[in-house]
Amino acid sequence: MSTKNENTISVNLKKLEQLMEWFDQDEFEIESAITKFDEAAKLADEIKLQLAGVENKITVLKQKTEQ
Amino acid sequence: MENVPLSVTDAIALVNQTLEYAYPTVVVEGEVSSFKVNQGKFVFFDIKDSESSLGCFMMIFNLRVPLEDGMKIRVIARPTLTKWGKFSLTVRDIVPVGEGSIKRAFQLLKEKLDKEGLFAAERKRSLPYMPSRIGVISSTQAAGYGDFIKILSDRWGGMDIVVVHTQVQGADASRQIVSALKKLNELSEPVELIAVIRGGGSIDDLAVFNDELLIRAVAASRAPVISGVGHEQDETLIDFVADERGSTPSNVAERIVPDKRAVTDQLSGNIELLIAKMKHRVQVVHSHIELSLELAARSTVQSYERSFSRYAEMRRLLSELDPRRALMRGYSLMRTEKNGPVVTSADVGDTILIETKQALINAEVTDVNEK
Repeated sequence: MSTKNENTISVNLKKLEQLMEWFDQDEFEIESAITKFDEAAKLADEIKLQLAGVENKITVLKQKTEQ
Repeated sequence: MENVPLSVTDAIALVNQTLEYAYPTVVVEGEVSSFKVNQGKFVFFDIKDSESSLGCFMMIFNLRVPLEDGMKIRVIARPTLTKWGKFSLTVRDIVPVGEGSIKRAFQLLKEKLDKEGLFAAERKRSLPYMPSRIGVISSTQAAGYGDFIKILSDRWGGMDIVVVHTQVQGADASRQIVSALKKLNELSEPVELIAVIRGGGSIDDLAVFNDELLIRAVAASRAPVISGVGHEQDETLIDFVADERGSTPSNVAERIVPDKRAVTDQLSGNIELLIAKMKHRVQVVHSHIELSLELAARSTVQSYERSFSRYAEMRRLLSELDPRRALMRGYSLMRTEKNGPVVTSADVGDTILIETKQALINAEVTDVNEK
């Protein structure tokens, strides 16, 4: 029922942020970096697609006085 | 009826019944005088114009705007004859009328709530970043609501937006908004924030958002509240009590969610940053390798130079020890058959072989003296 983005956009952004943080260490291994970079680039593309495609879901609740 | 005597109580009840039938509700406008509150719960005042005056009564919990003598108000009331035979208006609601009264009521309530700390900065909560489920209180027919939803949807997607439709002006609006706040705060799947939206309007229209009970309900809201009422220059008490204030409904949308275009640009920027970091790292590793190779090469050359120099020294020493060098300088070597090449002494009659630079000479020892 829910179109929540907590499993999509915001979680993916969080994952991307964690990957970015990995690159903040001074001496990262280049081989691991290539794997992590591929992962980050894939996530970024996925988020862009999600941002472009996902719509908001609007539910209007009725007040008791209106029923 | 004329022939049937009524008790006084019945007579009053009959009048009240008739009044209730004929005038269930009256709206009367006038100026407040003799305002007082008894026992902290019963409110009495008169409403008057230049010629007449009417007594009014109400319970304190129905008094949603501060009153003081001289204020011009509109009362929504039921006409009643009291058991003491006094005509009175039982007031259900009061609305300040005229700019002066509205401003005065606003000022009085603002001071009161401020003293209670409802507007204190330390009470303000931050709105969640990228909320996934939000509550909205507004009239779904209002232009302000349309602007809000449009901007929200342009900027961000994937949210659950739970809207409670209410009136946003008129006598019942504040009650409906209080009820909507309660409803949104009690949802089984909670909202992360609540936006209260209303477009521009007259000072009378916006007075709904100066209602004391409404302000208290916002202060008590479990979910943080952002207000977007009227235009930027409009000032209502909900703006003071809300956790955040948007200058317009559109501005509220901008404050609630980031712009997906900016986020997309940021994503591209992030990837470029990673590429730059990787390039830098490769350069650093490359420099380390070059430095290591250079150090190794330098060490090898130094080692070779040390060995070569030792070899040259040894050659020089060996060359100096060569006996032929002594012959070249004019010395000679002697050998005897008995002692070989080392001759420290000889006996008379021994044959000695003498080697010089140019010749080999055989000689006989004729005399030996100790040194």
